Amino acid sequence: MPSINFVLSGLGGQGILFMTKIIAKTALRRGYNIMGAETHGMAQRGGSVISHLRLGDVNSSLVKPGSAHFLLSLEENEAYRNLPFLAKNGHLYSDTALDIFPKDSVKAYLDKMAIQYDALPAGKIALDLGAPVSSNLAMIGFFAAFQEGSFTADDFRETIETISPERFKDINLLVFEKGLSTGTVARE
Amino acid sequence: MKEDFFLGNGAIALGLLEAGCQVLTSYPGTPSSEILPEAVRLIKSEKLDTYVEWSTNEKVALDNAYAAAITGKRSACCMKQVGLNVAADSLMSAAYIGTIGGLVIISCDDPGPHSSQTEQDTRLMARLAKVPVLDPSNPQEAREMVKTAFELSEKYSIPVILRPAIRVCHARQNLTWDKLQANRNPAAFKKDPRRWAATPKFRFLLHKDLNNKLKDISEEFNTLRPYNTHNLKSGMHFPLGIIAGGVPSSVIKDILDDHGRKDIPLLKIGAPYPFPDSLAMTFLQACDKVLVIEETDTLIEYCLRNRDNVLGRFSGHVPSEGELVAQKIEGILQTALDELALPSLNIDSQEDVQTLVNGLDLPVRKPTLCPGCMHRSVFYSIRKSRPKAIFTSDIGCYTLGLNLGSVDTVLDMGASITMASGFYHAYAQDGTEQPIVSTIGDSTFYHSGPAGLLNAVYNDARFVLVILDNMTTAMTGMQPTPSLGIRADGSKGKQIPLERLISGCGIDFIEVIDPYGMKDLRKTIKKAFAYVKDPDGGIAVIIARHPCIIAYRDLAVKNRKEISISDECIACNHCIDRFECPALYHDGEKDKTAINPALCIGCAVCVDVCPKGAIMAE
Repeated sequence: MPSINFVLSGLGGQGILFMTKIIAKTALRRGYNIMGAETHGMAQRGGSVISHLRLGDVNSSLVKPGSAHFLLSLEENEAYRNLPFLAKNGHLYSDTALDIFPKDSVKAYLDKMAIQYDALPAGKIALDLGAPVSSNLAMIGFFAAFQEGSFTADDFRETIETISPERFKDINLLVFEKGLSTGTVARE
Repeated sequence: MKEDFFLGNGAIALGLLEAGCQVLTSYPGTPSSEILPEAVRLIKSEKLDTYVEWSTNEKVALDNAYAAAITGKRSACCMKQVGLNVAADSLMSAAYIGTIGGLVIISCDDPGPHSSQTEQDTRLMARLAKVPVLDPSNPQEAREMVKTAFELSEKYSIPVILRPAIRVCHARQNLTWDKLQANRNPAAFKKDPRRWAATPKFRFLLHKDLNNKLKDISEEFNTLRPYNTHNLKSGMHFPLGIIAGGVPSSVIKDILDDHGRKDIPLLKIGAPYPFPDSLAMTFLQACDKVLVIEETDTLIEYCLRNRDNVLGRFSGHVPSEGELVAQKIEGILQTALDELALPSLNIDSQEDVQTLVNGLDLPVRKPTLCPGCMHRSVFYSIRKSRPKAIFTSDIGCYTLGLNLGSVDTVLDMGASITMASGFYHAYAQDGTEQPIVSTIGDSTFYHSGPAGLLNAVYNDARFVLVILDNMTTAMTGMQPTPSLGIRADGSKGKQIPLERLISGCGIDFIEVIDPYGMKDLRKTIKKAFAYVKDPDGGIAVIIARHPCIIAYRDLAVKNRKEISISDECIACNHCIDRFECPALYHDGEKDKTAINPALCIGCAVCVDVCPKGAIMAE
């Protein structure tokens, strides 16, 4: 199996590590080997959080700039900050609070690199459903709609059901479904 | 058989318990902190009886593990690399005396550094202490190396160091594992004072034994596969080869795979000390030039007997600071290939996109104290009370008091107190009255506060010491402290209140205060300085106690307030610059301060900060 590289970014407290875990556990069931790298300690107090996830038979845990197939960002500025990770023909998924995404100067670069981009108001979706810190689940739902790497919405749904703490399970699934339907519309 | 997605530190914990480790001690420090909690999780789920403790510091952790090891039990202690400095006294001596049961010291390095005061290389500490060191390249290998380390330790009666770097500790990998069995090897200490309490005459003999052990282990390391191994083809000669250890060896493998470079052989050295001399010589002889890639210092390069054809740090090819991430290693390799006129790697330049990103004016997100953090109230208050004081501080979240202009020095664990007394005597000698405020966290105080405080009291230094008691070890992930009376496995321990300990150090001025009340805190600081100046006074200690906002979310802010900004705001930015709460920002459109509701936790401490009284709480 060829390797698939993810970079997940956002701010401290947005649940980047939980989002990483959902993708990793889903990939694990699909028979992928997994390597990942996380941010802890003083570095974590800074606001910017980044997580690397590599599916397939690789030796090292960090995604090299220019080699991420997917960049999932829970904050628009963090998406821009981590653009150098994306490979040619990669796919950028970002939260955005604005109607226009991405910025013009970024758009030119993405087009040049044949990088696809799709954005959703993940923070707003989560807030509207009464779960302001669950934008990560909206992002996973949105991503699931694109069926990348042959991962289906059912695969992710199953993982979320398995690993969510009992008291968050229903709300997690609710936010996931809203992200999924938003993604399905965006894809069409 | 179970499969899980293990944190590197979890893989190490798994390796420890698979190897039958009976005693595990640790002091938390990034990137080592999760090893012990991951072990506790497995001990509980597998119903093992491994003894675990959060020790008060790294030296204490090593001494405790060492004693258990010489009863014949398998023992381990874990710490971050700078923690090994604290434990160095034990390490040096334990290397001479040796062990009975396996003793594994896990010292986690932080190339970067991401969360440490130095980038020091534990492998060099192993060299200094003359003990073997293993350097894993990924979590699975770290798990296997723990077992190898115990075997080596018992075979040669020597402590063995495992040195995982941050990209092993905080990497994640899927691992399969089986049921774990308890190791019931009983404690059986055999008295032998000539060894366990050796005098200098016998130390000489022990040193000789140690040197002989190292020769034997070096021989074993020449063939210790798969940790030390190369992919030379016999009889073939190569223009360039690479020697790499630990994390960089896994990065190099991926780079060579990505570029399909089968023309560059790799010697991986995962067991670098005592150095596998003949293995390295074989490799050097088969290559015209050899590039050495290792983190963070120069152990392998230094140990190579002939460096005439070596490209590395000494030749200026490899940077001597910072983490060797993939793109950096790729660049180093490219330079070497160019110099030798060998085929290039075809690296896509990242310059354009980096220029694009740099031009976007993205928000700078420097490390910051959390909204509602008690430390912020303390730092704001001490600066307001005594702006001209020298502020000595310490290691923990509160190092970020830097942002509030209330941290002038951070040297090492406990130095807030020892440097305060040092500053005092340096100024007092000139007859100058220099106010000094020292800040130290609760866990750091237990770690290495009392010795410095005893010294300061005994030698009549004068300063105000503020102990920032947030009732946890926050920076490293909320480990309990001795004041809580909760032990590493969650069981009850004896509570040792800070007040009692400080009083025992000879302090007569101790005031406990909740720093959320900043007006009272400023009054207390004033009182404390009066005591410090009084000829019959001494060192004044203020314990600022309030629960950590992360560890005790609901307890920390019992009555959440709705915070708003009134029209009185003149956008002077005093609150943003001096109080530095992430929830406060300047709204450019209205040209006033505004509150970010997603970040504000409603502690209302900021109300006291605004000179115009424009911050309102309901």
